[in-house]
Amino acid sequence: MSTATDHQHRGGFINRQAVGLTRHIVLIVICLLVICPIVYMFIASFKTIQDFFEHPYGLPTVWEWQNYIRAWEEANVAVTFTNSVIVTGLSVLFSTVLATLASYGLSQPGKPLNATLFMVFVGGLLVPVQLIVLPLFILMRQLNLFGTLFSIIMPYSALGLPLAVLVLVPFFSALPSELGDAARIDGANEWQVFWHIMIPLVRPALATVVILNGVWMWNDFFIPLVIATKPAIHTLPVGIVSFFGVYSTEWGLVFASVSISSLPLIVAYVLLTRQFVAGLSAGALKG
Amino acid sequence: MNFIGLANFVEALQSPEVYRAGWHNLIFFLAIVAFQNTIGLFLAVQLDARPRWVEFYRTILFMPVIISLVATGFIWSLMLSPNIGVINPLLKDLGLGSLAKPWLSSTTLALPTVIIVQAWQMLGWSIVIYLAGLQGIPRELREAAQIDGATGWQVFRHITFPLLAPSFTILTVLTFILIFRVFDVVYVLAGPTGAPAGATDVLGTLIYRNAFGSTGAFSGVSLRMSYAIAVSVIVLVLLGTQSAALLFWLRRREVKT
Repeated sequence: MSTATDHQHRGGFINRQAVGLTRHIVLIVICLLVICPIVYMFIASFKTIQDFFEHPYGLPTVWEWQNYIRAWEEANVAVTFTNSVIVTGLSVLFSTVLATLASYGLSQPGKPLNATLFMVFVGGLLVPVQLIVLPLFILMRQLNLFGTLFSIIMPYSALGLPLAVLVLVPFFSALPSELGDAARIDGANEWQVFWHIMIPLVRPALATVVILNGVWMWNDFFIPLVIATKPAIHTLPVGIVSFFGVYSTEWGLVFASVSISSLPLIVAYVLLTRQFVAGLSAGALKG
Repeated sequence: MNFIGLANFVEALQSPEVYRAGWHNLIFFLAIVAFQNTIGLFLAVQLDARPRWVEFYRTILFMPVIISLVATGFIWSLMLSPNIGVINPLLKDLGLGSLAKPWLSSTTLALPTVIIVQAWQMLGWSIVIYLAGLQGIPRELREAAQIDGATGWQVFRHITFPLLAPSFTILTVLTFILIFRVFDVVYVLAGPTGAPAGATDVLGTLIYRNAFGSTGAFSGVSLRMSYAIAVSVIVLVLLGTQSAALLFWLRRREVKT
């Protein structure tokens, strides 16, 4: 009897070792499949056109740093990168400030309309961008904002609200109302309660909102494709696509541009992996 | 202004092009869901076992989610390109030349190829959502079943998987909304006409093309803009009702299990 259990135990142990090893092999293989295209993007950004034909998947024979300088100057990346920074920065700022104020109000107890208003905000998530982009196009023209960066910043700021409100309202609601009451008794006004007590407590949620909106605003392609008709207000994704439309053989420059556009997010992601993973799945997990 | 009543809607609902695009969206959605619930779920289970370097694996697997779909499209269009690409030359050098295919220019292969590219970009997302779901399942439940002699597969099939139903619901509904709005990857890999010969045309590119033309540049106000708006209204109504129905149906399934 005892030998039987002994045998079972040892079998279980070896079995577990084998499962563990297989698991690592599978994970490593899939990680390679996932990471290779990204590594390839950087490698391709250093290749000359000749290299693309002669060593399609190898390392470049000459590391062509010139690709980056030429992309910056000739592929309009100097302009589109700046535009992307301005558009993403301001849109994240506006949508976060507006959503924070709205969410604080929506989380106050005893307001009968709050639940309905919350649904209106969150309902924005369902609206397909393709549907609103056409009226938006006409609206921006009539507001005379067409051809300015504000024609992209305004829709982004508005479209950033649904997710931000979805994340922030439960956070504010979870804060005990005694906190505010105590401060009010001590003579704090409503603004001081909001700014000095509530805001510091929801900081993790604000980080989530900034990441969640920052990533899609930086990467978004559709809205600027329709709204940004002038090269002067192109953001990175549209700039790269329109450069490629004209110089479709300049793969080195295209990939230098693509690398420049991906690098800021990759660096931020590697530094703040935990916050990014939590932030980018927050919208889904809240639902 | 000239009102033409419901003419645009009638035209949209009778257009085979609209049905073909919608059909492609549906195939796209089903394929992505299948992908998420095999490879995505499998990887989440592997990570949930907390192997060593789990943080490292998760960091790598989630990385494509932060890469823009435009960058994704460019990376893959170069890798899949027949002459200067990676995949075909690599297959040829490995002696598997017969597997080298015109991935993006074949009418049968183009849509599956585009779907795989999108699946690559979205993989990390399904892993993280399932991982969060798995970590929400009390360990005791699984351990109790193991003590009672259930095999690893039985534990997964009868305990873990049913308890993952809420993760499945949210992932499926969000994927549904996302895929019926899919645009960027198709546009970069196959252009606004859904090349070749509309084989990859989806509702997103169909609406864009009708509103803004297929050259990408603006040639004045397009006459088809109102038609494009009609199609997008139909899409919105379908998306709203169908995702609500999907949510309702999947939630009911959760209660039953």
